[in-house]
Amino acid sequence: MRKNILRAVAVFLLFILSTGIISAVSMESPRFQIDNANVNSASGNKSSSGYKLSDTIGQTAAGRFSSSGFIVRAGFQYIHSIIPFQFSISDINVNLGTLAPGMPSTATTVLTVSFGSAGQYQVTAIEDGPLKTLNDANTIDDTTCDGGAETCDESTAKTWSSSSAYGFGYNMSGDDIPTDFTTASHYRPFPDRTEPTPEPAAIVMSSVNVGRDRQATLTFKANISPIQPLGSYQTIVNFVATPGF
Amino acid sequence: MKKSTLIAILTIVIALFGVVKGVLAQQVSLSISPPIIDAVMKPGKSIMVAYNIKNSGDPVIVNTRVVSFEPRDNFGNVRLKDKAIGPVRFSLDNAHLELEEPFFLDTGATQQLLLRMRLPENVPNADHYYSLLVQTTSPTTVEGVASSRARATIGSNILITVTDSGVIDIKPRVTIFETLSKFKITLFGKSIKIFDSLDKVPVVLYIENNGSNKIVPGGKISLHGAFGQSADYEILPKNILSNSQRLIEATPSADLANGLSLPPTSLTLKGLFIGKYNLSANINFGENSPTVFGSTIFFGFPFKILGGVIFIIAVTVFLTKRFSKDDED
Repeated sequence: MRKNILRAVAVFLLFILSTGIISAVSMESPRFQIDNANVNSASGNKSSSGYKLSDTIGQTAAGRFSSSGFIVRAGFQYIHSIIPFQFSISDINVNLGTLAPGMPSTATTVLTVSFGSAGQYQVTAIEDGPLKTLNDANTIDDTTCDGGAETCDESTAKTWSSSSAYGFGYNMSGDDIPTDFTTASHYRPFPDRTEPTPEPAAIVMSSVNVGRDRQATLTFKANISPIQPLGSYQTIVNFVATPGF
Repeated sequence: MKKSTLIAILTIVIALFGVVKGVLAQQVSLSISPPIIDAVMKPGKSIMVAYNIKNSGDPVIVNTRVVSFEPRDNFGNVRLKDKAIGPVRFSLDNAHLELEEPFFLDTGATQQLLLRMRLPENVPNADHYYSLLVQTTSPTTVEGVASSRARATIGSNILITVTDSGVIDIKPRVTIFETLSKFKITLFGKSIKIFDSLDKVPVVLYIENNGSNKIVPGGKISLHGAFGQSADYEILPKNILSNSQRLIEATPSADLANGLSLPPTSLTLKGLFIGKYNLSANINFGENSPTVFGSTIFFGFPFKILGGVIFIIAVTVFLTKRFSKDDED
């Protein structure tokens, strides 16, 4: 009986000790030493005579690591974020269909940003030139909206509802969008990086607030004139999501 | 009967998961961790940071690059440049991956990128700001229709301070510390801000960093009322990059996205404000660093309450007189 209890205690102690051994991993070489508090992550204290490192990779909180050579901090120290920064586009091949003169064509894609505990981010957009045929022979110019008082540009959305106003542009709706997209008829042209003086990318989503699954719908719109040559018109829009600093 | 039901079910299943699959939207969903790295390095040193890139969307080909950035505004947003400028040399320690070379990322796959940052010897003390970008390749063209294809890029910021001695150049200055009031009067050359007692009091605090290294503010904004009221609001330690200024945020009520027409604020005070209030900011930047101060005053006056009282009195007097007159008649 006593022997059995002794065995059970020994097994239990072995289990505890072995668990302790695999929960922390140390790696070292003549140049560095890494002490990890969590076997599934890269987080923890990392130090050598050359540096110290702090990061938020993995499942433990952010921290600070230092040595004589350098100090590294990772993640937002004021929030101790360990949640990754995520960016999604629901459809990267947005089909505007067959364009007919004076019959505006629209298509949508949804942009989603998740930033669990450190919320400051922005998403910018810029096009690789206007819509153009594959041989670059013909283009659909970027929209200026309805014109007159309703002339839009890369940073100001205006009403685009006239069927005789031609071009290519976009509308935004949803979370964290620019405030000038007040209605579903408000559009802007994309900035063009192929202009002789490249235009700055436009912010299409931004927030300083903590957020998960911040979603905005971007509606592409194209309207062509009766004299627009036939062809498959294409362009690429670059969406760049960056956290704040 | 059973056979025809089975065929119908199979047809639906094939239509849903077979034929239709070819025309489903192509989704991109990338995540990066950590979202920001902040390193203080000596010249001649190198460090390696591990990033995790996860693909939660459809299979995708991505490539990585590092570019410089500068502050876009006073609120912590970045403006990316076309290339990496400065002395820091970047490379990947991964055996089969290089910067600016595409690699495949399957659905649900995570790729660890081991980013090596190397500083040459004799690099002058200064700050350098970069973003590690992970960019998808654009989808193939679609013949016969007009289409807009999208390319997705996700970034993680890298803030590097180069110092050979460990000393950081800290030169902060309070540029603006004030309340945003609709009512101002000037007395003896001083502008006096007046708020209704029931209104919120927005406060803005901007700090300029004239040094060559980034600084991180700490400290508090304190409120003291004429009747002994007091409250402290902790300043959030957010980076102020070299030679830039930033709106400081104090918890819990800073609001940089303050509605449609209001400017961003460092702090929004709520309460019943009556009389004179002193606001003071006491900001430090770590151990052995200079402390900077700012102060401002505002007055709370119960316009709305008084207006309501006067209105009630007026109505009461009017009704009393009216009823008295009726009684006399």
